[in-house]
Amino acid sequence: MPCCPRSRRSQALMRVAIAGKGGTGKTTISGTLARVLARRGREVLAIDADTTPNLAVTLGVPPARAQEMMELPRNMMERQQQDDGTMKTVFTADSEEVISRYSAAGPDGVRLLVMGKINHGGAG
Amino acid sequence: MEAGLEHLSRGTGRHLSRFVATIEPYYRSMEIAKRVAGLAAELGIGDVFVVANKVRDEGDRKAIGEFCAAHSLKLAGEIPFDPSLLDAERAGKTPIDFDPSSPAVKAIEKLADTLAATGNGQRTTPESNG
Repeated sequence: MPCCPRSRRSQALMRVAIAGKGGTGKTTISGTLARVLARRGREVLAIDADTTPNLAVTLGVPPARAQEMMELPRNMMERQQQDDGTMKTVFTADSEEVISRYSAAGPDGVRLLVMGKINHGGAG
Repeated sequence: MEAGLEHLSRGTGRHLSRFVATIEPYYRSMEIAKRVAGLAAELGIGDVFVVANKVRDEGDRKAIGEFCAAHSLKLAGEIPFDPSLLDAERAGKTPIDFDPSSPAVKAIEKLADTLAATGNGQRTTPESNG
């Protein structure tokens, strides 16, 4: 059995992406799925990578808190060429620090990070 | 581009263990799901699924089932059309806080079971980010 440094990590790690056409329910399903998994004792980090982020609403992060959330600075990520020639996007900052500094807390212990927002009017 | 695709094409998709494409029972959304699911499979994500949403009746179920079968897509769950989701939004609450026993929330709980039970792409230890 793999060693589990934290009790909430005792269940196997899942990294789930949800995509699909606009309006098909990505946000509703993602937010509710995150809450369901958190209620089952999982440590959940929800990442809103939509260009018009609104995962906070279905996750239950208070609107005021969602408003003041900081976007992840672009310079925290860097594209690096790997030995096999492929490119990899890596965090140049410590991930625990990024989470504690930039995420917002929601109900059932879920954390929310927002990245991918388009900040310029008319750009989206 | 549809939400999600641009991030995948940057190569971040290789770190994922599950990929879920949401569809509604109509052709355009199913076509897009087929495309993103195909891309996810190319990127080597272990488990690629489709989840059907806003399913109203047997006709919807049949259309989704046929499309998934025709394109070898794995259907991980089916979420019924549920008016309580709209009621939740109007009440300013999340679906799970508004009515944890609503058909949609119950279906998402089943989806969570399915996702947790699949293991091809899962990694049991957290990776470093370096």
